[in-house]
Amino acid sequence: MPPFKDDQIIIIAPGSETTVAQLGLPESFTPARLRVRSRMFPGEKEGEFEPYKIRRKQEKSAPNGEAQDDTKPSTDGEPDVQWEEDRVSEEGAIWPIQEGRIVDWPCFFALITHVYNTLNPPFHAAILLITQPAWTPKEHERLTQFFFEKFKTPAFGLMDAALATSWAYGVHTATIVDVGKAKTDVTAISEFIPHTQGRIVSLAGCGGEAFTQGLLSKLKSKGLNRDMCEQLKRSPICELLPPGTPLPGSGDAPEQRRITNPASAASTGAAGSGPAAAAAIGNVPRGPGADTEVGEDLGVDENEGVLDVASIVASGKMNEYLAKKEKEKLEKVSVKKKGGPAPQANKPVRLPNARLEKATFLYEDHALLDTLKGMNLNTQDMADAKSALDEGPNRKGHENGDNGEPASTIEANGVGESSSTTKRTGSIRREIDVGNERFMADGDNTLEKIADAVHRAISSVDDVSKRSDLWDQLIICGNGSKLRGFKDALLQTIQTKYLVSPSSATIFTSEIPSNISTPAGTGANTPQPQLGPHGGSQVNPLLLAATTAQTQHLMPHGSNPSMSGMSQNTHSSHGQTPTSIKFVKPPEYFPEWKDVGFDESAFLGAQVAAKVIFVVDQGQTKGYMTRPDYNDQGPQGIHDYSL
Amino acid sequence: MNIPNPSTAPAAGEYAGDEVSAIVLDPGYSTIRAGFAGEDVPKSVCPSFYGQSDSGEYHFGENAIHAPVGGLDIKNYWGADGIVEDWDTAAKLWEYAITTRLTGARPGDPSRNGLNDGNANGENMDVEMEGLENNEKPLDDSPLLVTEPGWNSAKAREKYIEIAMEDWGTPAFFLQKTGVLAAFASGKASGIIIDVGASHTSVTPVLDGMVLRKGVQNSPLAGNFVSDQIRTSFKQSTPEIPLTPHYLIKAKFPVDAGAPSQATYREFKTPPTDSFRLNEEERILTEFKESVVEVWPGPGRFNNGTNEELAKNTPGRPYEMPDGWNQVFGPERFRVAEGLFDASAALPSDTAPAPKPEQTIPRLVQAAIQQVDADQRPMLLSNIVVTGGSTLLYKFSERLNYEINAIYPSTRNKLIAPGSVVERKYAAWIGGSILASLGSFHQLWISKKEYEEHGAGIVEKRCR
Repeated sequence: MPPFKDDQIIIIAPGSETTVAQLGLPESFTPARLRVRSRMFPGEKEGEFEPYKIRRKQEKSAPNGEAQDDTKPSTDGEPDVQWEEDRVSEEGAIWPIQEGRIVDWPCFFALITHVYNTLNPPFHAAILLITQPAWTPKEHERLTQFFFEKFKTPAFGLMDAALATSWAYGVHTATIVDVGKAKTDVTAISEFIPHTQGRIVSLAGCGGEAFTQGLLSKLKSKGLNRDMCEQLKRSPICELLPPGTPLPGSGDAPEQRRITNPASAASTGAAGSGPAAAAAIGNVPRGPGADTEVGEDLGVDENEGVLDVASIVASGKMNEYLAKKEKEKLEKVSVKKKGGPAPQANKPVRLPNARLEKATFLYEDHALLDTLKGMNLNTQDMADAKSALDEGPNRKGHENGDNGEPASTIEANGVGESSSTTKRTGSIRREIDVGNERFMADGDNTLEKIADAVHRAISSVDDVSKRSDLWDQLIICGNGSKLRGFKDALLQTIQTKYLVSPSSATIFTSEIPSNISTPAGTGANTPQPQLGPHGGSQVNPLLLAATTAQTQHLMPHGSNPSMSGMSQNTHSSHGQTPTSIKFVKPPEYFPEWKDVGFDESAFLGAQVAAKVIFVVDQGQTKGYMTRPDYNDQGPQGIHDYSL
Repeated sequence: MNIPNPSTAPAAGEYAGDEVSAIVLDPGYSTIRAGFAGEDVPKSVCPSFYGQSDSGEYHFGENAIHAPVGGLDIKNYWGADGIVEDWDTAAKLWEYAITTRLTGARPGDPSRNGLNDGNANGENMDVEMEGLENNEKPLDDSPLLVTEPGWNSAKAREKYIEIAMEDWGTPAFFLQKTGVLAAFASGKASGIIIDVGASHTSVTPVLDGMVLRKGVQNSPLAGNFVSDQIRTSFKQSTPEIPLTPHYLIKAKFPVDAGAPSQATYREFKTPPTDSFRLNEEERILTEFKESVVEVWPGPGRFNNGTNEELAKNTPGRPYEMPDGWNQVFGPERFRVAEGLFDASAALPSDTAPAPKPEQTIPRLVQAAIQQVDADQRPMLLSNIVVTGGSTLLYKFSERLNYEINAIYPSTRNKLIAPGSVVERKYAAWIGGSILASLGSFHQLWISKKEYEEHGAGIVEKRCR
């Protein structure tokens, strides 16, 4: 009789950006059911936190969206103040986890409490918490104390995030590259034991945020703000190309000229491809070259870059803007009708994103929404304004076809939104198009930094013989790695920088591992010349060995008993690593996970582990601490129990 | 002394009643090892090198010192004599090693702003949790065991306790020599400990858990010396072997052995400093040591007779530089480490003085044994503990075995070279972990009260 049932198990995985949790283990493991943004808002009293922003309903409109002081619920006192929960806004939020470290403990505990209460677990529920590598043992103790004393949980376990990932993939030896929001952790795990020495913990500035900033630095001049860049990054048009790939429109890409719409060239004067054309944003075709944006009067505005609609609205010019917008829409439709045949000609050319010079994504304008809310409109006005400003797919639906915009763009976008930003409904969407800046997210050599971290992490594994396995078992996870093309670009960066190619000096000559025998002076053991590269019909076994670093089995181990330790330090024919670098294949037998990808595989691993430690082995492995254990040993006892 | 096997957890009764969660700090020239007593491996291993920017700002930790940022000087707080030189930085760096990976940083990261100024966390953090008092100093509730080199000066020892007591507020403190602890880690109370680290090689005779101070020998022929020899060997080879660290390379392409590299290089707006480059080159040299360098295992020295000829006939080992340049290293891979044992075989270097014969490891052992009573020598020689990262050089122990047998042919000499790499690298820390987890540790340590009563001088009386 297992001590816990499947439906009595809570798994919580806190992250810098998103905290995921789930109550109960389903028959077939699914991605986490509860996703909460890892942030809380300061409550009424100091030290209290609220899961949603609470703003006061006001008489007057706030001067602008940034005005925080008015909305902070600290200046109350009047009896007739009305409060409303704003479930979308994130102004003034406190993010208790930064770069994987818990920086604001009260807020973090409030967040965990919120997650726990949202799950609404039964009384007898065991908790497994996924820990970030940056958390110290003392902090583990603190968490243990909190969980036992606050939730009175009957059993509590901690599991390292990297280790959980290796459980998810079902491998005992792996190098886990966990790309988070503002940090990357690299952990070498061999035989289920993470190497704590030389583990790269919280490599700052190497996460999803770095890419957002990279985009921002490139697009700032075009009027895009951080939020836009963040959403651009999440959209499928943003991509990291493998190093060395020419950017579309950057010089010699003749096919670019072919798809450039002649109509657009005629009407806007944009001669074609190239950064110069990209700079004239708004004048060049939007979408895959099948549609032209016209309206010279509006072009003046758009040449300035992307409009800050929020500030327009805030400054009270919303009606003018809406009128303009309406005009633009009409013109667009008419032009579309007029110019219909021309785009049709280009229709068959549907290029992959990586070859397109320009692409469009939908931007959810939260700042605008906040501003609207700040203006205290009534519900009807609000809805009107929203629908007027919204360019989202519901309104654009009918245009999709002749717009030539790949339908998948929008669908994928929708999926991305629903998975990444939960409970963010009712927002206003706008179209923004970007040039090939969208391929330049890695502005700060983030890939190289991560590649170097991987090299350092593996090089610091004491046991030289294990390193080659670690290079062959690379796992990249974390939501920061969701950026399209990231994994391949990282692999390629690592390969171009660190892969050791078989030495031409030894590859075709015989190579005998030196501790088979010490050559005698007679020369009897001197290597005999081989047939040469073209002489033999079979593959040279030594060539094979040199390229796959599989010679270790040839060596006798521990010839001298006192030297047995040295056997672990034996040199293979090629002592250097890596001679090959590979990804671990994600497991096939989790259909629900296969659909969404394995970026949050730590959660999957935790499910597997929870099943094992709480249910299957009936508490034999001491993978968790029970309440009596806690009462006996206190928080310090957790170190004897956690995985 | 009853020393538990390091691989098994001590029974609950062996602890001093309840868990004291002492912290063991083992600072070395290359890395600082820190962890909780009772564990088998240090949780925190942090480089002793640190970065200092032009504005004087400190950058600690592995990630910071390997980031190619312009104007970042890479320094080390150890002096050339193997005694801490820059105390201010040492204290900060040690605290960093402890707080980042063991105890958790205080709010506002004490390693950055106004270190050790006590009331860093002004706001009341424990809203949800009562019972955790606000710690004012980083180690308020952890006894501390620190290791020191065997030849540490009296002044330096007082400095250790001052930092621990005054800056960190530790309730109890103990200082122990690395030699003794390395012996404990191997389960020995007596023996001769050969510790080949990064900057220094030391030979420490230990009798019943006590260091024979006059017998302690040290010399600078250690890991860094081998690195220097490799550099010299690269320079002297024709054509000169390029040493280009990873951070300068954008992409490398396979080339034939010995052919010039065809890498593309990275460009920096503000190029990283020379000291940064040296430190990055050291990474390559470490890998080179791990995968190519070999100690001539004997019999005889490398220069003797036909040994060099024999070495030529063994197959070479290929090595590829970060820029793709690669070559097979033949007998020269033996020569770079030969200086550790045979001063005359050392390559003449232009950056370091030529080693003296009495600095080589066999002569150090000899000098150390000389200081011991003749009737205890056989006992010591049957317990020769080999420790330190540089002893992981391939065939190091075989050669050492040969050399010691050549000097002392009539005794039963036994080398104790711990099997696992971890135990070899962190022997002193593991010994400290054992010592500090023993129930009797509280009889050894200097409590805060005693320190306040007697002052820093107490360390000379209590920690022998």
